[in-house]
Amino acid sequence: MRRILGMIGTAFMGAAHEVGGMLILTGQVLRYLVPPRLDPMETWRNLYKVGVKSFPIVVVTALLVGAIMVIQTGQMVAEFDAFGLLGWGAGFATLREVGPVMIGLMFSGRVGANNTAELGTMKVTEQVDALRALAINPITYLIVPRFVAIVSMMFLLTVIGNLTALLGGAATAQALLGVNPQLFYASIAEYLELADLMNGLVKAWFFGVAIAVVSCYFGMSTTGGAVGVGRSVNNSVVASAVSIFVIDYLLTWIMK
Amino acid sequence: MIEVRNVTKYYGAERVLDDVSVTVREGTQTGLIGPGGAGKTLLIKIMSGLVPPDEGQVFVDGVEITGMNAIELAKVREKMGMLFQNYALFDFMTVEDNIAFPLRQEGKLDEDVIKQKVADILESVDLPGIQHQYPRELSGGMKKRVTFARAVIHDPPILFYDDPTAGLDPVTSSKIFILLEKRKVESGATSVVITHDILGVRDIIDEFVMIEKGQVLFRGSRAEIEATDQQRVRQFWLGEAD
Repeated sequence: MRRILGMIGTAFMGAAHEVGGMLILTGQVLRYLVPPRLDPMETWRNLYKVGVKSFPIVVVTALLVGAIMVIQTGQMVAEFDAFGLLGWGAGFATLREVGPVMIGLMFSGRVGANNTAELGTMKVTEQVDALRALAINPITYLIVPRFVAIVSMMFLLTVIGNLTALLGGAATAQALLGVNPQLFYASIAEYLELADLMNGLVKAWFFGVAIAVVSCYFGMSTTGGAVGVGRSVNNSVVASAVSIFVIDYLLTWIMK
Repeated sequence: MIEVRNVTKYYGAERVLDDVSVTVREGTQTGLIGPGGAGKTLLIKIMSGLVPPDEGQVFVDGVEITGMNAIELAKVREKMGMLFQNYALFDFMTVEDNIAFPLRQEGKLDEDVIKQKVADILESVDLPGIQHQYPRELSGGMKKRVTFARAVIHDPPILFYDDPTAGLDPVTSSKIFILLEKRKVESGATSVVITHDILGVRDIIDEFVMIEKGQVLFRGSRAEIEATDQQRVRQFWLGEAD
């Protein structure tokens, strides 16, 4: 019994240590964001790497999400002959929930893992120490540009992803159910509210913050060479995914 | 001048530096020698403020750096240059960007001047024309010389060299030692050199400090170390023991 309690205590302390570290990192990032103190070239490089390079995977994911939503809701719509509600049904689920979550998960797998691996490698090969030795603050040079790039691109790519998902949904509705795209979009325009779109975008913004903080934290706390980098990437991907679902649950409850 | 007073550092329960006191006089070149794992790299990281000691104090030019915040430490580090054992070149930057990095961050010089300075220093380390290559395209000896160039391009008055010839062949090692000596003569910088290559450095070092198991075992000039009757120091100096 004592052993079990000891293990629970150790796990709790470990988790508290990680969460505390992430909160400290978030505080440091915010401190250097107001007023913004970040390297312009490094920010540009990260915006390109995070945004442009993630564009294809986000578009593909969103197209499929839109299509899947139509396939799922299509059965019920056909049963009740309520084709005028298909756009609303697919759009409601996509914009509020499935779109941001799926794009967030893709983003954490691609961008978050890459970010942790890059920072972790820099840490174990003393590149972070080299920055500090050259009187450069690693937070302003490495972390703040990545934070800005990940948060802003997650938001923008979710906007693009939402539009693409609706395109994919309309195309699937026409191909599988013979629903005219005009009817599909009219249903969206009539029944969906701006709040539905904003709800998903607020979530996307918080997902971006979570992915940025988690991936940077695990990267910068990497120790132990190549094995350590692998461990950090693994922890980062798992923690990002868990964060996305926890944030999604909380925000869904708050904005219900 | 760098002064380390009664510094102790723990990693977990292990005491990796134990009440170490070392003074590096201004304008001198001090050699840190000793077996692997003795705490030499940790000591120069503590001297440069990269790692805080658990106990003791560190002074750079008479100013205590222990307890300084990141911004204050960054000011102190503007006076320093460091050559890392594992190069620590930024692998996403070209050679030119790596070497120019400290100058661009200072923001005092025009881009044309920076490019010329990079070209000049690459010439001086016998690597002309490699500005646009990436670190992954270079050999170990070339990387060491690029790291050296990056460490000294902003003419820092304090230099730390962490095992500058580790893993290099004797010819390349001697080129590196020539660069160190030339740098000392030309700039008069205060420098600390960690090395296992006793033969290579014995003529360019003013004072040797031998560290073993986190403690200072010996300090003195080449003449003093050669005359010492401390068995362990003599063994190490003559290469008879690890």
